[in-house]
Amino acid sequence: MTALDPPHLPGDEFRSAGLPVDRANTVGRHPTEPPEEIPELSEVDCPAELQETIERSMARYPDRHSASIPALWAVQRLYGWCTPEGIRQAAAVMRVTPAYLESVASFYDLFFLEPAGRHQVRVCTNISCWMRGGDELLAQFCEATGCDPAGAAHGGTVSPDGEFFVSGFECLGACDLAPMASVDERYFGPLDDGDVDLIVAALRSGGDVPADKALAERPLPGGPDSTDNPAVLNAKGPNR
Amino acid sequence: MARPTPNRVTITVDGREIETDEGVMLIDAAKDGDVEIPFFCYDPKLGDPVGACRMCLVEIEGIPKLQTSCSTPVRDGMVVHTQTEQVKEAQNAVVEFLLVNHPLDCPVCDKGGECPLQDISMGWGPDRNRFVDNKRHFEKPVPLSPLIGIDRERCILCYRCVRFSQEVAEDSQLQLLERGDRTIVGTFDERPYIAPFTGNITELCPVGALTSYTYRFQARPWDIEQGGSVCTLCPSQCNVSFTVRDEQVKRVLDRENPEVDDGWLCDKGRYGFQAMYSPDRVLNPVLQSEGQAIPSEWGEAIELAVAGLAEAGSATAALVGDASNEEGFLVQLIARQVLGSADIDSRLAPGIDRSAAIELFAPDLAARTADIDTADLVLVVGTDPIQSAPSFDLRVRKAVRRHGTSLAVATDRPSALDGGATEVARYRPGAAAEWLEDLASRVEAGEEDGLAGLVREADDMVIVWGERIATGDRGAEALAALARLARASGLAESAESGLIAIPDIANGRGLMEVGCLPDAGPGLTAVDSGRDVEAIREGLEAGDIRALILFGVDPLRDLPDTEGWRRALEAADHVIAFSLSANDSTEFADVLFPLESHAEKDATVTHPDGRIQRVRPSARRPGEIRAGWLVLAEIAAELGLETGIDSAPSALAAVTEAVPFYAGLTDAEIGGRGVRWQDRPEAASFGGGGAEAPPPTANGSAPASSNGGGSRKAAEGSLVLGTYRDLWADSTTDLSPALNFLIPAQRLEISGADATRLGLSTGDEVSVRAGDRAVNATVAVRGSLDEGVCFMIEGTLAENANALVDGGPVPVEIGPPEIRVELVTAGADAAAEPGEAS
Amino acid sequence: MTEPVHETRILLRHADDPALATLEGYRSFGGYETLERAVREMDPETIVQELEDSGLRGRGGAGFSMGKKVSFLPHGDETKYICCNADESEPGAFKDRELMQRNPHQLIEGIAISAYAAGSGHAFIFIRGEYDRQADILDRAIEEAYGAGFLGRDICGSGFDLELTVHRGAGAYICGEETALLDALEGKRGNPRLKPPFPAVKGLYGKPTLINNVETLSNVSHIIANGPEWFRSFGTEQSPGTKVVSVSGGVTRPGNYEVELGVPVGGLIDDLAGGPLPGHSIKAFYPGGSSSPVLTPDCLDLPYSFEAMADAGSMLGSGSIIVADDNVSIPHMALRTARFYHHESCGKCTPCREGTNWTVKMLERVVRGEATPMDLDIITSVQDNIVGNCLCVLGDSMAMPVSAMVRKFRDEFEQVIAEAAAAALPLDVNGATNGGGNGNGSGQAPWERLPLQGRPLPGEVSSG
Ligand SMILES: Cc1cc2nc3c(=O)[nH]c(=O)nc-3n(C[C@H](O)[C@H](O)[C@H](O)COP(=O)(O)O)c2cc1C
Ligand code: SF4
Ligand code: FES
Repeated sequence: MTALDPPHLPGDEFRSAGLPVDRANTVGRHPTEPPEEIPELSEVDCPAELQETIERSMARYPDRHSASIPALWAVQRLYGWCTPEGIRQAAAVMRVTPAYLESVASFYDLFFLEPAGRHQVRVCTNISCWMRGGDELLAQFCEATGCDPAGAAHGGTVSPDGEFFVSGFECLGACDLAPMASVDERYFGPLDDGDVDLIVAALRSGGDVPADKALAERPLPGGPDSTDNPAVLNAKGPNR
Repeated sequence: MARPTPNRVTITVDGREIETDEGVMLIDAAKDGDVEIPFFCYDPKLGDPVGACRMCLVEIEGIPKLQTSCSTPVRDGMVVHTQTEQVKEAQNAVVEFLLVNHPLDCPVCDKGGECPLQDISMGWGPDRNRFVDNKRHFEKPVPLSPLIGIDRERCILCYRCVRFSQEVAEDSQLQLLERGDRTIVGTFDERPYIAPFTGNITELCPVGALTSYTYRFQARPWDIEQGGSVCTLCPSQCNVSFTVRDEQVKRVLDRENPEVDDGWLCDKGRYGFQAMYSPDRVLNPVLQSEGQAIPSEWGEAIELAVAGLAEAGSATAALVGDASNEEGFLVQLIARQVLGSADIDSRLAPGIDRSAAIELFAPDLAARTADIDTADLVLVVGTDPIQSAPSFDLRVRKAVRRHGTSLAVATDRPSALDGGATEVARYRPGAAAEWLEDLASRVEAGEEDGLAGLVREADDMVIVWGERIATGDRGAEALAALARLARASGLAESAESGLIAIPDIANGRGLMEVGCLPDAGPGLTAVDSGRDVEAIREGLEAGDIRALILFGVDPLRDLPDTEGWRRALEAADHVIAFSLSANDSTEFADVLFPLESHAEKDATVTHPDGRIQRVRPSARRPGEIRAGWLVLAEIAAELGLETGIDSAPSALAAVTEAVPFYAGLTDAEIGGRGVRWQDRPEAASFGGGGAEAPPPTANGSAPASSNGGGSRKAAEGSLVLGTYRDLWADSTTDLSPALNFLIPAQRLEISGADATRLGLSTGDEVSVRAGDRAVNATVAVRGSLDEGVCFMIEGTLAENANALVDGGPVPVEIGPPEIRVELVTAGADAAAEPGEAS
Repeated sequence: MTEPVHETRILLRHADDPALATLEGYRSFGGYETLERAVREMDPETIVQELEDSGLRGRGGAGFSMGKKVSFLPHGDETKYICCNADESEPGAFKDRELMQRNPHQLIEGIAISAYAAGSGHAFIFIRGEYDRQADILDRAIEEAYGAGFLGRDICGSGFDLELTVHRGAGAYICGEETALLDALEGKRGNPRLKPPFPAVKGLYGKPTLINNVETLSNVSHIIANGPEWFRSFGTEQSPGTKVVSVSGGVTRPGNYEVELGVPVGGLIDDLAGGPLPGHSIKAFYPGGSSSPVLTPDCLDLPYSFEAMADAGSMLGSGSIIVADDNVSIPHMALRTARFYHHESCGKCTPCREGTNWTVKMLERVVRGEATPMDLDIITSVQDNIVGNCLCVLGDSMAMPVSAMVRKFRDEFEQVIAEAAAAALPLDVNGATNGGGNGNGSGQAPWERLPLQGRPLPGEVSSG
C-alpha cells in the first residue's frame, strides 16, 4: 500500500512572507463566522458614529452596495486610513465581505490602505503642470517635508515624522494653476519655492495655508464680462 | 416559468451556414458549426460575459468595429468572419499583449501541456515576441489557502476566479485588488481563501496561476489518464474525472453534467481523494483475535464471516451506508433470503418508511435537479445544502441570481441560503411537522399572502427537502404534511415542478430503492417488517440480535446514541464490518472486509432526483481489496445462495431484475451522464409492487421509542439541542492531509440572548449535558439563532454530538467543562448552575 | 483672423460674482424661473424636442446630441435615472470645476429640467473625489434647493419629484467613462461595462439611465428659457452654442474661456490666453484634452468646432487646449501622456492594460537613449494594435495621441534617442537635460529611475 507522499502538502508550511497565518482559518475554522464570511456587527465593535454615517449613506441609494465608497471615506476620515479593522466594521454594517471593500478601496487612488500622514499634499505632475514645473514643485515639497522623493513620485510616501503624505499625482483638474498642489483637499497654485516653505511651515504650526494662492480666490482669467452680443444681453433664463 | 424553447436561426460563419438557437452567444454558435474562436474570459457558467480578454474578436458584416463574439447574441442572417486579416491582426495583438507580462516558464509550469494560453498562443498568436522590457515579478507561488497556491506572475487577469467567488459561490472572498496592470487577485488583508468550493478556481484558471498543492509537480499531461466516475462522498453525486498516474488518483476534476453538478465540485470531492491513500485505509481482510487485529487471507475471512452469520441465522441485522446499489441489494438479499432476517436499515434514524417513500418518490412528484434552474419558487425545507449536498447550494444560488427564482428556506438551523431568500422560516429542532402542516393548510385554503401566496403563484416549484425531517416523534406527520403540501401546490401537474429529497448518506435514495429499508424490499415492495436502526441497537443490547453486518457504516460516529451503540456492539456475538478505513466501530469487528473507493468501484448509485449513475473504476484497488459485489456474492454462495453474479454487469442485472422500475437498465443506457428512472417507461411500475405496506408496528418504523438521554422535559433554563452534520465532519476530511485543516472542532452555537443569560461568549469552553451524557464544546454566539435553541455538530472526530442525542432533539444544559469530569463522582448536583461558566 | 476673438459668456456670465453660488444670488439673476415654468407648463416631450432641435452636443468628450440621448430612454413609468458626469479627470480639462464652483445652481436647474424631461425621479452627480471643495459647494447648493422646493417632493407644486444625490469618487479617471461611472456609483470598482446594452437601455441598477456632462446639463436651462433657435444663433451649424474652453500649458494666461464654437483656435490661444510665453512659439497642441491627437501650428487657423477638429484628424473632446511650446520635448510629452493612461487603465481588458504598460516602457527607453528607430515602429504598431480592440476608449485615448506624436515628430524622437545615447545619461526619463527640456530647465530627477509606479504589491519583487 502506498501512503500519499506528502511533499507538497501545506500545513505547517503554510507561512510565507506577505501572508500571515490566520490561526482561525488554518488550524480550525473560525467558530463564529457564517459561511458568507460577512462579519457580524457584534464582533467588530463599530463606533456608533461610523455606523450611523454608513447607514445614512446606505439609505441614500436604491442599493446599499452604492454606499461602499462613502463608507470607505467615512472609515478613512475616522482612522486616517482604511484600516483592516475599519474595513471590517464597515463591512459588518454594509453586510458585505471585507474583501469586497478592500477590492473597491484599492481601485481608487485617494484611499489609503496604509497609514497616511496627518497632512496630505498631492502635487500634479501631469502634462500641463509638468510643462510649468510640476516635478520641481514635488521635489521642493519633498525637501521641505523630508519625504523620500522616489516614494513621492511613485504612489506617495509619508515623511519620517508622520506629519506629511506627499505624492506626485495625475491631473487634478487645475491646469490653470500650474504648477499646483492639493493640500489637505484644497487647491493652491501656481506655487513656487517660497510658497512651498510657507505652506509646510503653516501646516507644521497648525495654522492655515496662506490663501493668496488658493483656487478659491482666483477670478476668471478673461477679466470682467465685456459681451455686447444682444442675444446674450437680452437672454431669458438664469444669469441674465 | 417553463423552460423557454428558443427560435432557431441561421447564421453564416466563415462561409458555413450554422443553424442554432436565437440568442445563443456567437462564440458558442460558431463552435456548433466547428469554427473555433479562441477565448479566455468567457464562461457562461460564470454569469454574463464580461468581454475583458478581447481574444474572441470577430468581424460581423455591417458593423465596422470588431466585436467580441462571447458577448454578441446571434441574430438571424448574421454573417461573421473569423479569418480575415483584421481579425487575425487583432488576435495576434491580444496574444502578444497577454504575453507582455506572462513569464515563459512553461517548462516548469504545472499547466504546461494543458494550458489554454499555450494552445491559443500557438494557434492564434504571432510567432515572435517584440517585448524586450521587464515583466512584472512576484514571489512564486504564495499560498492563497492551504489548498491553493497562486503564482501572480502567470495571471493573465481573465477574472474567472474572482467571478466564480462572486457570481457562483457568492462567498465574495476572492477579489481583485489594485488597478490596471498592477491588478492582482487576492483576499482581504492577505488572509487565506477558505470556502467550500475554492478548488474550482484551479480548474477555471486558463494558465498556471492557480494550482492545487495536492497536484503541484505530480504529473505531466502525457503521464496521466483521465477516468470518469461519480463522487460518492455526498448525495450530490457530482460527476468527476480522476486524473490517474501509475494507477493512482492524483487529482479530481469536474466532469460537467448540467443535470447533476453544473460543472462544479466542492473541496471535499476534489481533495478528498487523498483518503484513498491514507495509512488508515483497510487494504485486506482483518480478523479480530483476542483484541488483536490480524490481517488475513480472503478465504479464511469469508469462512469465518459465513460461520458467524450461519450461526446467528435470522438473529442477524444489517446496516448499510457507504454502498452502491448492487452492494446494498446483495446485503439485503443475504439478510432476507439467506438468513431470514428482515432487520435491515440504511437510515441514520427511523424516518421515511415504505409508504412515505411510495408517496413522496412518486414519479409525478419528482423534480429533476435542473428544474431548480428555472423554477419560479424553490422551497428548501429541513436541510442546509452547503452541509448536506453542496452542489445543491450552488444550484439554488444560481436560480436566484440568474433566473430570479424566489427562494423560501425553512430550517431549524440558520442556513447558508438565508441571505438570498425571500422568505426564511425557523422552526425549533424536530418541529418541521408543525411548520409544514401550517403551510399545507394555508395553501389548501387558497391563502394569497406570504409564502402560501408565493406557492400559489408559482407555476413551477421545486421543494428540496432533507430526509431528516422524517426523524423524531413527529417525523411521520412531517412527511404527511409534505405530501399534502406537494399535492395542494399541484406539483404533480407540472412537469418542471416536484420534490427532491436530500438523504443523509450519499446513496441513501438508491439504497432505499434496492431494498435497504426494514419494511420495503427491492423496488419498495412490501415485505414483512423488520427492525429499524434504533430497534436493531436495542435488539443487540437485549441479545435478540446476535450478528451484525455493518456495510460502510460507523455507528459510533454516524448514529445517534453513541453509548448505546457501544453497548450494542459489545453485546453482539458477531460483527462483520465492511469499511474503507479503520475506525472506532471496526474495532468491534470480528471480521473486517475492505471496501473499494469511488475511484475503484464498478457499480451504480442513484442520485436524489432518481438519476442512476455509474461509478467506474479508474484507479487500481490498493492492497488486496476486492470488488464489493464479488465478496458479497461469495458470502451468499457460501451460505447456500447461488446468485449467479460473476461480474459487475451481472450484479447490476440482478438489481434491475429485482427493482421493477429499474428493469432492463444496462451500463450502456446509463452511459456517462446517467439516466433518471422516472424518464423510462418502466417508471409506471413504481409503487405497484406487493400489497400495501402493513401498518407500522412498534418494532418497525415507529416513531422513536427510546429516550436514553433521560427526561425529555426541558428543565428550567435549559436549551433544546439540534444537531447537524457538518460538511467536513467525516473520515474523508480526517484522512486527507490536505483537508485536515478543515476538521471541525465541536462548537455550541447559541443565540445572543442565551449567551448573555448564561454569561457565555464566543470562544468559551463549555460542557453540554443531556441527562448523564456530556460533550465538550466551544461556544459560538450567532446573532441569527433563536432564543432557547442551540446546535452542535454530529459526526465530529472528537466530542461528537451524537453522544448526546438519541434520535431527536434533546434538552441540554451548559456548564463549565470541568463539570463533566466531576459528573462521574458528584452526580446530578454538579449540573445545577449552568450560569457559572465564564 | 481679423477680429480678435472675444468671450461670449452664457454659462459663465456673472461668474465672478460670489453671490451667484448662493440660491438667493442665482435667483436674483433669474435662476430657477425656467425650471418652474418647465415643470408647470411644459410637457416632457416638448422639452426633449427643444433639446434635440437646439443641436446641443455632449460636452464630455464624445459630442453626441444631448436631445437624442434623452429620446433614447424608454417612455413610460419605469424607474429611470440621470447621472451628471462631473468626474473631469482628463489632463487639460478643468471647466466643470469652474462651472460647479461658481454656479452650482445652474447645474442643478439643468439636471432638474432634464430629469423632468426624461421622467426620472432620482438624479446623481458623480464628482471626482479630488474636487472636495466643489462637492461641498454642490452639497450646500442642493440643500438650499431642497429648502426652496426646487428639489424633493412636488417641485414648484407641479407634482414632479426629484431626489438629487452627490456621489464623490475617490480618484480614478476611468470613472468618467459612462459605464464605469455606473459601476462606481453602484459601489463597485469602476470598470467599464460591455456595450451594448447601452445605459439608456440598461444603466444604473439595471435601469435606463441618462448620463451627461456638467457643461452639457448646465446649458439646458438656457436652451429651455430661450428656445433652440436662440441657442443655434451661437456657434456653427454642426456645433451650436458656446463652449467653455480650458487652455493650459505654454500660454501666458491659462484658464477657462467661454467662446462661441467655431472661433479660430489660434485666436483663442493668442487673444484670450495671451499666446505663448514670451520668447516662445507654439510647437504643437492638444485641441481636446490629452486624449486628442496633437495638432501642429498649421492647424491654428482652423475653427474650434467638433467638425473642424475631426476633419483635422483630431477631436474637440472635452474642449481643453494644451499648448506645447518650442521648449517642450515631444517624446517626453508622449511619455507623460502614456504614463497617465497607464496609471489610469482600469485593467479589465487586455490591450489597454498591457498596451499602456508596454508603451510606457518603450517611451522610457526612448528618452533614455536605449531605443532604436525600429522601436519607434514598434511603438506605432502597438498603438495600432490597441485602437479599436479595447473594451472602452481609454486605450484608444492613449494610442491616438501617442501615435500622432511619433508620426508627426519622428525626427525629434530619433534625435532624442541619439542625443540621450550619446550623452550616456541613460536613466533620465524627465527630458530635463538632453536638449529637450520642459521649459523650466529642471534638473535630473533620479527617483524617476524606478520602474515601478506605486508602492510594491504584496509579494512583488522589484524587477532588476
Ligand atoms: C476614459 C474616459 C473618460 C471620460 N471622462 C469623462 C469625464 O471626466 N467627464 C465627462 O463628462 N465625460 C467623460 N467621458 C465621456 C463619457 O463617457 C460620456 O461620453 C459623457 O459623460 C457623456 O456626456 P455628454 O454627452 O454630455 O458629453 C469619458 C470617456 C472616457 C472613455
Ligand atoms: S480600455 Fe482600459 S480602461 Fe477601458 S476597459 Fe479596457 S482596460 Fe479598462
Ligand atoms: S472571451 Fe470574449 S472578451 Fe474574453
